[in-house]
Amino acid sequence: MLVRDIMSSPAVSIPPAMTLEDAYRMMQQKGIRHLPVLDEGRLVGVITDRDLRLATSTFVRSPLSLQGRVSEVMCGEPMTAEAGDPVEDVAFRMRERKIGCLPVMDDGQLIGIVTGVDLLDALLRMTGVNKPSGRLEVRLPDHPGELARLTSFLSHRNLNVHSILTYPEGRDSTRTVLRIGSIETRALANDLRRADFEVLWPPEKPCPR
Amino acid sequence: MPSVIYHPAYRNYSFGEQHSFSPLRVDIMLDLLESLGHRVETIEPEPATRQDILGVHSDYYVRRVETLSAGGDVPDCADYGLGTPDNPIFPGMDEAARWLVGGALHGARLIWEKGEKRVLQLGGGLHHALRNIASGFCIYNDLAIAINWLTGHGLWVAYIDIDVHHGDGVQQILYDDKRVMTISFHESGQYLFPGTGEIHELGSGAGRGLKLNVPLEPFTEGESYLEVFDQVVPAALRQFRPGVLVVQAGADAHFADPLADLMLATRDYEAIFRRILGWADEFTAGRVLFTLGGGYSFSAAARVWALLYLLIHDLPLPTDLPEVWRSRWSRIFDGQPPAALHDPNPGHAEIPNREEIAHRNRQVAKRLLEAASHYWF
Repeated sequence: MLVRDIMSSPAVSIPPAMTLEDAYRMMQQKGIRHLPVLDEGRLVGVITDRDLRLATSTFVRSPLSLQGRVSEVMCGEPMTAEAGDPVEDVAFRMRERKIGCLPVMDDGQLIGIVTGVDLLDALLRMTGVNKPSGRLEVRLPDHPGELARLTSFLSHRNLNVHSILTYPEGRDSTRTVLRIGSIETRALANDLRRADFEVLWPPEKPCPR
Repeated sequence: MPSVIYHPAYRNYSFGEQHSFSPLRVDIMLDLLESLGHRVETIEPEPATRQDILGVHSDYYVRRVETLSAGGDVPDCADYGLGTPDNPIFPGMDEAARWLVGGALHGARLIWEKGEKRVLQLGGGLHHALRNIASGFCIYNDLAIAINWLTGHGLWVAYIDIDVHHGDGVQQILYDDKRVMTISFHESGQYLFPGTGEIHELGSGAGRGLKLNVPLEPFTEGESYLEVFDQVVPAALRQFRPGVLVVQAGADAHFADPLADLMLATRDYEAIFRRILGWADEFTAGRVLFTLGGGYSFSAAARVWALLYLLIHDLPLPTDLPEVWRSRWSRIFDGQPPAALHDPNPGHAEIPNREEIAHRNRQVAKRLLEAASHYWF
């Protein structure tokens, strides 16, 4: 998944000479928290609702009035992303620098913005359910070919995999969560167990007495 | 007198001998009732017409079902959920599915035209069928078609779905319909097919707040199930004031069901059915249409549905099951036919985190009511 798949585009932007009051009103009106600042088409900064509130707060030694200018408060030379960047790359940079958004640039032009909420949406899309499907969760040894063994088992049964999420678990194994286009996941799980897969979901039911 | 709708042609809705959705389930149930000495009098419906089906499904979908049904080739059938491991193609599938729809429609007509109160359709409950996609053993959505017929005649419908799987097709087809409230109790989509049925799926447009979902924790037992059932259903019915109940009475929330993970026992089903009949008396002048649904343990499904039949007819419940019936179906029950109508108590090994499960279910029901009631008042 790439930034272009999850970014908001076009981005709402403001000029550096805008007053803090107007910038805040703009955020309220649009329901957003981040505004890229453009000076004659050139990205010169980013301002957030938190910047605005802190700059005008009595917590700081000399708070600005609401008529202060965006250029006095904004973060200059912001980090940016490109539309073709992988989502995980962007998530890593935002997490590392503890920032809430990245303006998305193409050839020096602002074309969109990606925020932490967009990343949450991406997570929902990657793990979500958009087609009727059942959950299958398998622990695989962390060796080449193990995932292929699982997926070929499924393809031999003509079962469609709607989504697949794999993450490392401990040193020697990975946990793989799949959404399978079938209501018969327990029968499938039983067959997988017979083929020596460690199936975590669906579990074997507590035995009838 | 309650009406029971059935036609031998229902048996043709069969995906093959190895398939879970077996017509044998109803055969075994009917034989149980006969063996108990009840003469099951059934009313025979007509199959639904193509026009009836088109009330819910698109022409291009129906055309594909018809072609496959007649042995023709449809290269893109898998895009429509047809010819998959869950929904294999079989000759005559269009007509077989139309028979089940016809039964549900006939039930709706008996209630509206003949003033019948309790109607049991011995089949159908194909709640997963979407407008253009066959899903989870369901080709045509008999429930949505019958519900539309009822609302079209001015009866507002409260649809109660106790199948262990979310009633996604019915919900989706009627999502913005203000004349239909849907209430589905199911194992959480996090864990079970079809994956939907979260509490935030509340309906859209004029139907907002009228589509209710109670996703339950895996291994939920009867006590917790009934607690949230009582928490949600009467409150919802009191608000909505339906003219009729339509109930999908799947039996697959039973602990012996091989497809899912809830832990109801037959006594819990008895309690559920008694409550539903009571609510029909309280809210809809007794009008209620039951269909069958999922239920893939032969032993559980046959007993749960026999129980439903007996309760609808206010007949006494037997304790032991007839020997002749037990021996006739012994092979199907892997040599261990059930000895009694009700499960032994306890029927299954103890669930370790029972309290936590009940707590989570309670919270889910509470959050659902908070969210939905926002649209009610």
